[in-house]
Formats: sequence, structure tokens, C-alpha cells
Amino acid sequence: MEFVSPEGLRLDGRRPMEMRQIRAEIGAVAKADGSAVFEMGNTKVIAAVYGPREVQNRTQQINDQALVRCEYSMANFSTGDRMRKPKGDRRSTEISLVIRQTMEACILTHLMPRSQIDIFVQVLQADGGTRSACINAATLALADAGIPMRDLVTSCSSGYLNSTPLLDLNYVEDSAGGPDVTVGFLPKLDKVTLLQMDSKLPIDIFENVMQLAIEGCKAIANYIREIMLENTKQLEYRRGI
Amino acid sequence: MDTHTPFQKLNLRDHILDSLIAITVADIAATGATTCARIGTIVAATGTIVATAGKWFSKIQVGGKQMLFPVLNLENPSSLQPDKGKVAIHVDCSPSAAPMFEGRGGEELSTELSVALQHCLLGAKSGAGAGIDLSSPIVAEGKICWDFYIDCLVVCSDGNLLDALGSAIKKAALSNTGIPRVHVATGALGDEKPEVDISKEEFLQFYTSNIPVIVTLTKVGWHYIEDANSEEESQLSSAISISVNRK
Repeated sequence: MEFVSPEGLRLDGRRPMEMRQIRAEIGAVAKADGSAVFEMGNTKVIAAVYGPREVQNRTQQINDQALVRCEYSMANFSTGDRMRKPKGDRRSTEISLVIRQTMEACILTHLMPRSQIDIFVQVLQADGGTRSACINAATLALADAGIPMRDLVTSCSSGYLNSTPLLDLNYVEDSAGGPDVTVGFLPKLDKVTLLQMDSKLPIDIFENVMQLAIEGCKAIANYIREIMLENTKQLEYRRGI
Repeated sequence: MDTHTPFQKLNLRDHILDSLIAITVADIAATGATTCARIGTIVAATGTIVATAGKWFSKIQVGGKQMLFPVLNLENPSSLQPDKGKVAIHVDCSPSAAPMFEGRGGEELSTELSVALQHCLLGAKSGAGAGIDLSSPIVAEGKICWDFYIDCLVVCSDGNLLDALGSAIKKAALSNTGIPRVHVATGALGDEKPEVDISKEEFLQFYTSNIPVIVTLTKVGWHYIEDANSEEESQLSSAISISVNRK
């Protein structure tokens, strides 16, 4: 099947290096300490952060740093076919672990010993790139909760189909069976905090694809920074500053 | 508000207090309790977010609660009751609503809400007292009918979930649903699966006028209040949920 037409257009009309439209909103869940909604094209994700708070399970308490926990769940209706079991399956457990490790690397956990930070990510609509959208939403939610971090964590995926590196795969391109590289990136520190790949790629092409994903991450970081600035202005305005 | 219409015995569980309560209507009439009616604002945003193969999506915000609803239609050739369609209601509490819903924590509450909604909208086992008209999802009697799956997701919870779910299902989800018109090829013999052609253009409206509305009254001290938020719910001594339809 042709994923990139001879004119250079993908199935949804994008150029190979073009990302889907992103949209973010801070403060969706009023009850949580921090929350955000992040949309990448048709993929829509809600993240809610509760914490830092007292550790619920004493045996897991760490004396010199905060405990970071994460749970990823997909709604029944998020994919095309209705899912039976939204949580607890292997894929969800793996993604929960991945997001937890990514966020833990950038939260300044030593500032909050003996406490617990819970990150709950809920996928409302899945159209490829849910992992990335979850990490981006978690970053915004953590910022909304006021949890100290080293840097923003942004994430983007890229692939390689029809001999073309493609940025930000959607579901159809993702399920094509080609390589799918997900990168989690700290833009200011210029460091990679997450790197995952399915399938296989020659090493020189891999470098190109990864670089493309990193560019995507930087673009998302700019957008996230704008959203956060806008949010802060709103807060200042409401406080009467 | 009329409360003489079919009383459904519902279990409403408070998030914080572990108590299952079922009260009869006669009790309320007998005590002559005063009702403080204070209905929270209901803001419903409906819209088609993803319309693939018959999936509609709408989001409703009631007071401090947000729920998301899709009504997913699947065509299913089996039918135990030959002249009725099938409806399945499922509620899921997302951990973003409260940390205690993580893992399997929210399962109990989800099941309770699902069962309560099923009783309310689908009536008893025999189908008596059903709110949703089950004959509209029929395509070919005895052979094919529509399967409705109503999946609810609670994203943010601030008390009084049952009311919000009830009004969300009625107003937002089902009124926004269109059943695609299906043409069945004639001349299908016996048990053969008939040819179906699902139209992408024509839609039949789903009738929601008979679907009941659920109202929960919680007793706090000496007063009954409506649409309690979580703080008020934490102080309740008893609660009653009534679903009322047009009749």
C-alpha cells in the first residue's frame, strides 16, 4: 500500500515532515492538583496529576525522594473497535512504565522526600502516537500542579515508510508494520530521555528518523511553552495582578 | 416534580462513606421532609468528534463533573428476543477523577452505576418499564438488529454521578445519535445472512423523549438537597435516587 504518494503527500494530506495539528488545554480536571488535555490530530488524551501527597503504601515509601506512579488507561471507545478491557492489559502496563520512567527522570524528586506523585493518563481517542500525547499531556499537568522539574519533556514519533522518513504517524501509518520511533526529549538540556523503536532500521537511516522526531519534539516544546505562558497570564489576570 | 412514576430501587454509594441505602418513596411522604431544590447548571457540549462506522461522541459537564460518552453502534446478527434491539450500558471511572479509582479501585463504583443505569433505562429483565424503545434498533426482524453500546467515562467527579450520567445519556449521547439506514436485500432464505447495505448518508433519529431523568435527593441533617457535591455527599445520612419519565 502506498503511504506516500508520488507528489509527496501522505494518506491524510500531510507532507512527510509535517506534524498533525496540536492543541492543548491546562486545567481540565478541576479536582486534580494539575491536569491537562493534549490533542495531536485525532489522538486526544487527558492527564491528571495528584501530588505531592502522603504515600499510600508505607512499604513503597522512599526516604530521600518522591515516589512517582503512573497509570495509563484507554477508554472503551477510544479505538475503532470497542475495547473490552481498558486497563491491566500488557500494552497499558508497558506504557505506564514507560511514562513513569520518562517523567521520573525529569522531576526533581529529591525535593519531596517521603511523598508520592500520581500521574493518571486517560486516552479518549486513539489515532496513533498515544504514547507521545500522553507524555506531553503529563508534562503540562505536572507544570499545572507546580511540581518542580528539570525541564519540559516533550515526545514525538516518527517512522519510515516508502523510503521516506515520516513525522508523527497516525494509526494507519503506525499499523503498516514499518519502523516506529518514539523519542522523549528535554529541549533546553538537549537530552533524550526516552527512545523506543519497533521493527528494524539500518543505522544511518535510523539517525535521520530519530533526528526528525527530535525536531518534532522541539516544535511541540515551543507550543507547550506558549500554552503555559498563556495560562500564567490568565492566572495573573484572575489574581488581579 | 412528579414522583408517582415507576419507582426504581437504586443503590447509590457515597465515595467516602461505605453505605448502601435503599429507601421507599412512602418514607419521604410520611416524614413530609422539606426539599431544598438546588439544581446545578448543566452544560452539555455535543458534537461529532470521530464519526467512523457509526460512532458518535459527546461530552457533558454537569456542575463539577465531566463525563464523556460515545454511543457506538454495531450491527449484530444475533437476537434472542426477535423483535428487540440490544443495548448495553457500561460506566468506567477514570483515575483522573479520583486517585482511589486507579487499578481496580473504581470497579465497584463503576459496576454499581452501570447496573443502576441499566435498571433505569432498560427496565426489569422482562423489558417492562424500559425507557429506551428497543424496537427502533430493529433492521430485519428475527435476523439483524443494531447493538447499542453506551460507554460512559467519568473524568472528573464532584459528587452526584448518577444524575449527571442519566442526563448525559439522555440529552447528550442519545439525542445526538443517528442510526444509519440499512437496506436489506430481499429474497434472503431462511437462516442465510442477508446482504446488508449500510447507508452513510441517511440517518434515523433515535427517540429520546421517553427516556427518564434521574434525580438524587440526599438527606443532610434535616434537609433534602438536590445535586449534592462531594463535600455534601460526605455528610449524607441517606439518599434516594428516582428516575422519572414523561408519564
